[in-house]
Amino acid sequence: MSEAASVYLHVPFCLSKCPYCAFASAAACEGDWEIYLRAASSEMERRAPEAGPLETLYAGGGTPSVLSPGAWGGLIESIEKFFEFSDAPEVTIEANPGSLTKEHLTLWRGWRVNRVSLGVQSLDDGELAALGRLHSASQAAEAALMCLSAGFSVSLDLMFGLPGTPDDLRGWAGTLRRAVALGPHHISVYQLCIEPGTPFGAAYADAPRASDGYVPYRYAQWLLPRLGYEQYEVASFALPGHESAHNLNYWYDGSYIGIGPSAWSCVGGVRSKNASRLRDYAEALAQGHAPTDYAERIEGEAAARQAAVLALRTRRGINWRRFRARYGEAFADAIRKDLENIPGDLASTDEFSASLSKKGLRLGNAIWANII
Amino acid sequence: MDQTRYQSRIRNFSIIAHVDHGKSTLADRLIESTHTVESRNMRAQLLDTLELERERGITIKLVPVRMTYVAGDGESYILNLIDTPGHVDFNYEVSRSLAACEGAVLVIDAAQGVEAQTVANAYLAVEQNLDLIPVFNKIDLPSAQPERAAREIEEVIGLDASRAVLASAKDGTGIDEILARIVTDIRPPDGDRGAPLSALIFDSVYDNYRGVISYVRVVDGELRARKEISFMATGDVREVEEVGVFTPSMRQVESLGPGEVGYIVAGIKSLEDAGVGDTITDARNPAPAPLPGYRKVKPVVFCGYYPIEREEINALRDALEKLRINDSAITFEPESSAALGFGFRCGFLGLLHMEIAKERLFREFDVELVATAPNVIYQVRLSSGGVIEAHRPSDFPSDPTRQEEVLEPFIRVTLFLPDGYVGPCIQLCQEKRGTYTGMDYITPERVRLVYDLPLAEFILDFHDKLKSMTRGYASLDYEHIGYRTSDLVKVDILIQEEPVDAFSFICHRSAAYHRGHSVATKLKELIPRQLFEVPIQAAIGKKVIVRVNVKALRKDVLAKCYGGDITRKRKLLEKQKEGKKRMKQVGRVSIPQEAFMAFMDVSGGDE
Repeated sequence: MSEAASVYLHVPFCLSKCPYCAFASAAACEGDWEIYLRAASSEMERRAPEAGPLETLYAGGGTPSVLSPGAWGGLIESIEKFFEFSDAPEVTIEANPGSLTKEHLTLWRGWRVNRVSLGVQSLDDGELAALGRLHSASQAAEAALMCLSAGFSVSLDLMFGLPGTPDDLRGWAGTLRRAVALGPHHISVYQLCIEPGTPFGAAYADAPRASDGYVPYRYAQWLLPRLGYEQYEVASFALPGHESAHNLNYWYDGSYIGIGPSAWSCVGGVRSKNASRLRDYAEALAQGHAPTDYAERIEGEAAARQAAVLALRTRRGINWRRFRARYGEAFADAIRKDLENIPGDLASTDEFSASLSKKGLRLGNAIWANII
Repeated sequence: MDQTRYQSRIRNFSIIAHVDHGKSTLADRLIESTHTVESRNMRAQLLDTLELERERGITIKLVPVRMTYVAGDGESYILNLIDTPGHVDFNYEVSRSLAACEGAVLVIDAAQGVEAQTVANAYLAVEQNLDLIPVFNKIDLPSAQPERAAREIEEVIGLDASRAVLASAKDGTGIDEILARIVTDIRPPDGDRGAPLSALIFDSVYDNYRGVISYVRVVDGELRARKEISFMATGDVREVEEVGVFTPSMRQVESLGPGEVGYIVAGIKSLEDAGVGDTITDARNPAPAPLPGYRKVKPVVFCGYYPIEREEINALRDALEKLRINDSAITFEPESSAALGFGFRCGFLGLLHMEIAKERLFREFDVELVATAPNVIYQVRLSSGGVIEAHRPSDFPSDPTRQEEVLEPFIRVTLFLPDGYVGPCIQLCQEKRGTYTGMDYITPERVRLVYDLPLAEFILDFHDKLKSMTRGYASLDYEHIGYRTSDLVKVDILIQEEPVDAFSFICHRSAAYHRGHSVATKLKELIPRQLFEVPIQAAIGKKVIVRVNVKALRKDVLAKCYGGDITRKRKLLEKQKEGKKRMKQVGRVSIPQEAFMAFMDVSGGDE
């Protein structure tokens, strides 16, 4: 069995559910934390044999920062008990400005955490209220500065395409500029998706077709590189050396172990997903079963094509030498041929590599649909 | 009974009327009054046997019926009613019916007055020298104006209105008088039982067990079982197996003599061997000349029929073959289309005929199909001297300088309408490239307007527009008047410089820009944005007259994709790819099926 060097830890709790969120998360009930901590520890024990020394660990959610520092102490204890780390691992924790405290940072800093990803979303109070976020713009700025001064590498998540004003460049430009002024190392830009089954999904079901998001996205692509943040992936901009190693592992089809309800794993060519409900997840583990409720094995050409699509999310794209070695000559050639039919201003391919231009990244789905 | 006396007691007649003027109800009343069918077996519109006919309240196929009537003189008469269809598409069926008759009952709705097909059918009857009995029907209606109707038939048709019967087929008024008048006003058939056999086939149907059953009217001589007969058009010789009459169900009789209407079965397996209009004669003692037939009808409106499921092409072919057995006016031949695959190019007598055929295929044969927009046949005279019959735009020469002139079929349309609508109707006819031919006031409030129109314009949407413009108060009739020269051009639609056959069309030069623009604009809406800009052009030959662009996609990516999104993203991409696969590739451009469909939907077929 190939060894995974990445772990994703899902913390399924939030202070309250955001109206656009389709993730497995909820405000915790009495006793949920204990159930979660016990079950996660039990899953770590189960999965530990699949892991080698960890290069990356990423705790996301939900909102990892809603767990109290005390509860975090318990989690850290389990992680250290069951996993080994490499010499210089990247350890990231997601946090929300509304629930992050100095105590968290002190605890994390004292352990292995070197990166914090802050769910800022917007630096405009009106937009934050519309998104149902519990923090204000100044709270968000304060949280960012707190993380930075504590010495973390900081990433800010920002969101565009808000309902009502999807193309309002003024709001988006203001958020971007204020975010950059805080001096983070990494910025992720997301387009708000109205997902069915969420309050937003119901509220905006009949709204006229959403904007394609071109204007705000194009603006980020224009502005951020000028300020030193290179776009290294569809949604990701970073100062040199601050790319997310954990995420790059996803895009280069690496193995990873997902711990926690609804977490996905990919080990040995099998991609699987844990049960989403905490009770189901904990129940399965308590009875000594794997807590998964979905698994698939992608092989042969399908695996090669999926890997190509993932790699083409990154600006560096596909390295043919490595790609051939891993997926075989024939598939590599077939994919390369398909890529050669894409107009040259969108994708470039030569004997060494293939990648999308910035314009190509904007049209990712339409291009990838040709090679999946 | 003495043969001559027997013959003198026969009356062969039709009922002719504008659609909805109550012809079928009147026929039912006549059958009822003569106790031809017991009243417990009566159902509304007895003669309309097709499900579709009864539903739409129109008659399409002919059904003859034989009634026995005891007249005021105490004598029994045989009344053969040969039903006629009321719609203009089926005009040829009317002329077939009339050829077998000596007289006709002309029914006019007393509330509506004379309408376009009243006149057309009355003229057909007059041409065939039939004795006419005018009947003003629906006089029970409060809005009935028999005096106005009387004025109209005198002025428009030239009939003596003082002889008209006032009737209501609904409540039975005037039915006895009509029966009496059929006996007194319509002459008995002449014809000689001793002369060589000559009998007219006025319709044929196919029966799965007995083969072809031909409906005949004997003129001279006698038809009986085991007689050797020959068909004068084909020279085919057969032995008669059975002769009979319609009561209205078929009843075998010993013989059919001069003036009698009935059927024969003669072991014929194909309708083509018993051609409608052919003359049957004695194989050993043939008549010197065939009876005058009637003009052979040719389809004038064409469209493609394609099965919705491509595998059903053979089922569609079988269904069309069976349908043609009962409706010899339909033609079809295989064709294929870029968008729809394999199908058939079918010819019809008109739009209603086309629509009825489509519905019959669905109801009787369970074949669901897509019908392309109807079109006509053009004649293209080439500068080199030849002539091309162009069924579709791709038949036109690709280089327009090679064509000397283009001819298209014209019709003469006669409209009857209230005077208040004259202005808009003239405008409609002008817009449809019509040529004014004449106009007269048949009464102070009612106008007859005659225009010559290109058939292509007529089948597009003329009837719908006329109906909505006149709130249904106008009626129309038309006749084909042959081919005339028009300044027609073939407009090609190019998508990224490549002509796409399915979108080409023929139109008048003056409309080329306007229609080219609307086609291009519609395509622009239907073709999804691609990775590059896609120009859509309309061109006559090499000359581009319209250009619009489908702009390139600007953005098609949702930003994030982490470990948990990979499977879902892949499935979405696979879906996107499937969607693209279902589109047709023209060069590098993907064109969705809907774009082709949008230019193929039948419009204006429901009448």
